[in-house]
Amino acid sequence: MSGALGQTRVALVEAGRAARSSWRPAYFVAAVVALLVVLLPWYAPGFVEIDTLAGWVYLALAAEGLWIAAGLAGLPSLGQGAFMSIGAFTTALLTARADWPAEATVPVAIAVTLAAGLAVGASVVRLPRLYVAVSTWILTWLVVLVATEFPGVSGGSQGYVVTSSLDPTGHYVLAVVLTTLLVIAGTVLQRSTVGVRLRALRDHPAAAVRLGAPREKLLLGAFAASAAVGGLAGSLAVQLSGVSDPNAFGPFTAFKLLVAVLLGGAAFAGAGPVGILVVGGIALLVRAWSAAGGNASAQLEPLLAAIALLLVLGLGSEGLLPAASRVVERYRPSRRTPGEGGRLIRRRRPAELRARGLRKSFGGVHALAGFDFHVDRAECVAIVGANGSGKTTALRALCGVMPVDEGEILLNERAPPGPAPLAWVDAGIVCTLQGTAVFRTLSALENVVAGAALHRRFGGPFRAMVATPKARAEAREVRAHALEALRFVGLDGNADEPAELLDSHSQRLLMLASALAVEPRVLLLDEPSAGATAGEATRLGAVVRSIKELGVSLVVVEHNLRLVGSIADRVVVMGEGRTLSEGPAETVP
Amino acid sequence: MSLWVQIVLSGLAAGSVYGLIGIGHTLVHRLTGIVHFALGDLVGLGVFLTLLVTAGRGPVTQATAATGRFALGLVVALVVTTVIGVASYLVVIHPYLLRGSTMGWVAGSVAVAFAIQAFLAALFGRPAYVFPDPIPFHKAGSNGIVTVAGASFQVRSLFVIAVGIALAWGVSVTITRTRFGRGLQAVAEDVTGAHVVGVPVDTYVSLAFGLVGAVAVVIAVVAAPSGPFSITAGAILGVKGLIVAVLVRFSTPWAAFAAGLGLGVAESAIASGTIFGEGLGPAYREVLPLAAVLLVLALRERARRPDVEAELG
Repeated sequence: MSGALGQTRVALVEAGRAARSSWRPAYFVAAVVALLVVLLPWYAPGFVEIDTLAGWVYLALAAEGLWIAAGLAGLPSLGQGAFMSIGAFTTALLTARADWPAEATVPVAIAVTLAAGLAVGASVVRLPRLYVAVSTWILTWLVVLVATEFPGVSGGSQGYVVTSSLDPTGHYVLAVVLTTLLVIAGTVLQRSTVGVRLRALRDHPAAAVRLGAPREKLLLGAFAASAAVGGLAGSLAVQLSGVSDPNAFGPFTAFKLLVAVLLGGAAFAGAGPVGILVVGGIALLVRAWSAAGGNASAQLEPLLAAIALLLVLGLGSEGLLPAASRVVERYRPSRRTPGEGGRLIRRRRPAELRARGLRKSFGGVHALAGFDFHVDRAECVAIVGANGSGKTTALRALCGVMPVDEGEILLNERAPPGPAPLAWVDAGIVCTLQGTAVFRTLSALENVVAGAALHRRFGGPFRAMVATPKARAEAREVRAHALEALRFVGLDGNADEPAELLDSHSQRLLMLASALAVEPRVLLLDEPSAGATAGEATRLGAVVRSIKELGVSLVVVEHNLRLVGSIADRVVVMGEGRTLSEGPAETVP
Repeated sequence: MSLWVQIVLSGLAAGSVYGLIGIGHTLVHRLTGIVHFALGDLVGLGVFLTLLVTAGRGPVTQATAATGRFALGLVVALVVTTVIGVASYLVVIHPYLLRGSTMGWVAGSVAVAFAIQAFLAALFGRPAYVFPDPIPFHKAGSNGIVTVAGASFQVRSLFVIAVGIALAWGVSVTITRTRFGRGLQAVAEDVTGAHVVGVPVDTYVSLAFGLVGAVAVVIAVVAAPSGPFSITAGAILGVKGLIVAVLVRFSTPWAAFAAGLGLGVAESAIASGTIFGEGLGPAYREVLPLAAVLLVLALRERARRPDVEAELG
């Protein structure tokens, strides 16, 4: 017992120290602002309507919830209006029909929207992003039509009366506190390994999947969490207004919330409240103008919101917060100094990969026509051949991202654990993409963390948000490992730089570092030198050789024969989907 | 039997509108890989501009409509929606396509939708408007309704179906037979290739956006006199056009048109209570098809094991 207490005490002290060391002046400013906002009802002048304000803060809560899906995960959801409605109707129905106290309905509202989010999300996250927008748009219309066509659900034009035990001031304080907590949670989540992988999926889904990010699971989690927050906001908002309205949260709300996230800046936690501040400001202006006898009707609000959005997006800005942070960044000196390559500790052994009789056709074209292949432990095999000879198809088949029509693939003489490609990555079969497929808005270090995150056991979103000792220790380990991988390719000096600012050679190296951080047993590289100058290819060759020396089996598809000669133990020449000839690097022309 | 004739005829009339908007969504998607969320609102804009020129901003009756002004109104509406269709592509869609920002064009096109609705709401203050019928169908039969072999239906629904099919045929001919259409097909197959062989890609695609809006406006104006038309009716038409296009996976214009007709008939059958019984009456007419399409989307995609990267890019 005392042992557990002692451990807890140590952990708390350590957490306190960590909190102090990561404290920044900006947090102090944020805390003061939050406090001023919470206390607003006690010093605001009389004309400020606290209930209207509270309604807007609930919108900010819903927008910040949407940020998880739209900002962090890059899902263009037009469904947040629907989720607010579902939360609101759940609360209205339970209070009006079943005499529940309004507060008690909140958990149910969250549960119902979470379930709805999971149900809708389960199908949409598998689809291209276009379908996310389409399905959520249909959902929003469906919910509005159900509410208007079935008065039993929404209470009709009269609405259901919902009595809340909180007065508007209470609601306002609750709304601000919840929104603030969500922004803090979002900030922590964004930096956690889950957040890094979500952002990696947002920037380059295919590359993230190749590093072992469980795309569907992560996106579904983000989508459902975002829906649940929408439900919470809807449930509280209907308690604030006191009466349900079928049209309260329709397509326009869905649009307004997405606009808020984009205006605030999708890449930043806190985008929701900032965006709502702008949208709310527009609404306030329109009201002030019409109150002053101007010719503006309330109809102008959507028009102005639309124009504001188009202006911000059209000027090439990624939102207000990123624009502001760029100004701050300009005055902040870079902290790290470049290193010069380093050692990478390997914890896994190289494996042998074998393929027998692979066949794959697209329509009538036989891209693979009985392809046999093997790479021994810690061997480097290069696959060469003319364009269209099936090299890239072979590579995609070997790492499981493309199912084959026929044939078998064996890792150390056994079938890799299914399902491909994620379980294969876990088993150590890692394959890079052609070109410079990096996550452009992530820092170089985060690019590598996206790969290193694979072997975390305590990296779930909840552990990350409450920062359990295990999660923090593991997070430190992952960062250290990622930094090691960066040092290995000589990029540790650029660890904090966004990947899009690196030159293309560094981006190629960064891609290698990310793949290395996954700890591959067999690493497959698809034209690592594509687009490189002769000098860059030579330097790349040196890095690839040192990867082999680490004890990694390598398969390299490559056009540059000089590079092939400098790295490969054996060369396989492909043509028409099968092996034409093979032999030691010197013997193949 | 006679009831089914009624259901099918009124369903086909409504379905022609959905079908043509579905054609629009199909064309837009095949050309650019996007969905234009403001397509339905463009139709709404066309309808209300026609109304504005024909009868002004106030409530109108059948008597105040003159055929000459109606024709003028239709021309004005066509020109304006074409221009706005083109502009919406150039201003809010093309820039984001270049940047590869899905979020950008989704938000941009929805912004256009709400901007149009806001503009209309500022001009027209009532919840819904009666659209005067330029062709005196009300003189046929008993107040526009005839009874043939026990089935009574609006005479103008036959006209709407005929115009719908004619327009769908016209679009299909334009795509397959004209130089413009072949250019569009080239763009849909391979944008870079089309560019190389000298198809003015941006011009053609913007024109296609205009064409799409214009065609849908014609049918909407033709169909509008059948019932009251509200500011948001266009948006709802847009959603229905979208679900038929999604249902046929944006495959071909004719498939989308057929799905549109199917949706119309399904709606009218649900509303009459003939397919799911009286319990599921008119209230379900709007709701069931939307729910069904969401379900189809979910099940269809679950059944498929996609080549992840082919879609992720």
